[in-house]
Amino acid sequence: MCDIIWCKKEVGGKPCNTVNYLDPYTFWNWEGKVNCAECKTVYYIHMIQGFNFKGPEERPGEKPDTSPLYADKPLEGYKGYYPGIEGRTRPYQCLPRHIYLGKADMVKFSIRGRPVRGWRPQPPSAGIAGSFPYKWDIQKLSPEVWQEYQEKKKKGEVKDW
Amino acid sequence: MAGEIRPKSKEELEEMKIPYEEYCRKAFDPGNEHGKPGALTGIRWLSCTMYIFTPHSAANLAELGAEVIKIEIPRMGDAMRHTSPFNEAYLYPLHDTRPMTGTGFGFLNANPNEFYLSMDYHIPEMREVFYNLVRQADGLTELYRPSTFDKWKMSYRTLSQINPRFIYVWGGGFGYGPKVFGGSYDILAQAHAGFASITGMHEHMGGHATKSSNWVMDWNSGSMIAFGVLGAIHWRRKTGLGTMIEFSQVQTAAMVTEYAVPLYGRFGIVRQRWGNWDTQLCVHGIILCGKSDFPDAQNPQDKFDARYVMVSAFQDRDFQELCNITGQKQLFDKYKAHKDRVEALAQVEVYLALEKWAADKTRSQVVKALTDAGILAYPVMNDREVYESPHYRERGTIRWMDDPLYGDILNMSGYSTGHLSKTPRKVSWIWRPVGADNVKIYRDMLGYPLSKVEEWYAKAWI
Repeated sequence: MCDIIWCKKEVGGKPCNTVNYLDPYTFWNWEGKVNCAECKTVYYIHMIQGFNFKGPEERPGEKPDTSPLYADKPLEGYKGYYPGIEGRTRPYQCLPRHIYLGKADMVKFSIRGRPVRGWRPQPPSAGIAGSFPYKWDIQKLSPEVWQEYQEKKKKGEVKDW
Repeated sequence: MAGEIRPKSKEELEEMKIPYEEYCRKAFDPGNEHGKPGALTGIRWLSCTMYIFTPHSAANLAELGAEVIKIEIPRMGDAMRHTSPFNEAYLYPLHDTRPMTGTGFGFLNANPNEFYLSMDYHIPEMREVFYNLVRQADGLTELYRPSTFDKWKMSYRTLSQINPRFIYVWGGGFGYGPKVFGGSYDILAQAHAGFASITGMHEHMGGHATKSSNWVMDWNSGSMIAFGVLGAIHWRRKTGLGTMIEFSQVQTAAMVTEYAVPLYGRFGIVRQRWGNWDTQLCVHGIILCGKSDFPDAQNPQDKFDARYVMVSAFQDRDFQELCNITGQKQLFDKYKAHKDRVEALAQVEVYLALEKWAADKTRSQVVKALTDAGILAYPVMNDREVYESPHYRERGTIRWMDDPLYGDILNMSGYSTGHLSKTPRKVSWIWRPVGADNVKIYRDMLGYPLSKVEEWYAKAWI
């Protein structure tokens, strides 16, 4: 469930008609001021247990405490504002980091500094019919990573835990 | 004296003198499992499986010492190899012919200790090879749509003719019945069995029918299959005969809905969601504190989510103490009896009052205040905190392992399932590339000449 502020503020001779979505994770028990994503009119609301107990009341000239998560204009097709637009909508904390955008993060070492086979391409190392040996001979297959590992050990960057 | 335990040797006398905790440490000895035998050594199992649910059933056996042969699609492997959290955490290589493809962490923990064979079952010539495997194995787990293996002459009715001691497991979505051809995913099981409908907060409290984030029904169903297999092995010891096990995933999910269905049967009441609280005990839930324990951290799990505390104080004296220290004495006067405070509206009042009290406190302040008062309270920890927890470290639940092929891996796998003093679970390797044990199985075990194996490989039959 999520409550909304349907902004009817007259802007340029016609109502703003923007639906601002108040996500329950932020607004469930909340009192404060929130802006309209389109016309930026500031509204005071007091929500208790997900229901609007007071407001929305216009608070002209005051600064909003936060913004709606997203907003749209249902009478104008699919026009709207996604989360994370500065000054209009609030960013959500789960925005993917740059490394989560479709490109695998290659690693050569685990967080405790020991080699892990997490990069590509690996040199071919299978035997007959795709059979693999039981041991990754890193020194032979990837001497440069092995070298880097020795350096790490010298610098004390390899830990037990 | 009757009932007195007498030591039978000097060593046993010494052993009886040590405190029980030390005795347990010595008996389980985490980190030295590999020096002990495996409970299922001697059992050979075929795993014709994909994803998590059915692979995990075979993984249970492999961790307990069975020799499990995982059969995969040539050069491609289990579809689960190609999934990974947010497209990250791949380990390479998958197969020499595909140098840019790795196996994703989605595959982790579902197939450890297994031998990896590749085979295309569609090729009629390979069917005889498959039968030869069946002749030398104790059982198999498969997950194809019902009757697929039957169509290929590989179902129980064929295989039991070849090997009457054979234990055959089919694991899948629904099994026979009106949805016989319905496949399943964990989320489908959660939805279909009503599990998701009772998970999460009620909608008018901001919640939704919720899927448990992890594939709990896959892991749970896989373990349940393993129980079935152990039962079948025991039965075979008595009768010499194999068994066919048919395992519908939506069934397992139905099992863990607790009293929901019986409640309906008795009163016609449909169970509601109750989220982080409990329908049978109060106080017994998770509350939100106002401040994070790590406000300056970068990771949102630390920065924002380190604010939840699990509290349990449902017994009258505990509840009274909880009310005292949180300054809610009137709540105890109002809900002295558990039957009163466990009511829905009472719970709303009680938990809101607790969250109000916690609003200006950090998670650890809340935990400290409650535990100091003798109330059971624990922070809701994230993965980093679990990694750093001395409890898991000391017991070997979570540990670093030097995987022979992939290097330094942190995992819990079989070590999170409890200790066995004589025959502990072990993880020797997390997985191997597709077809990594082709020569070992086709030549060394089944006796096919190397020229034949190479010929099949060249044709991509294996």
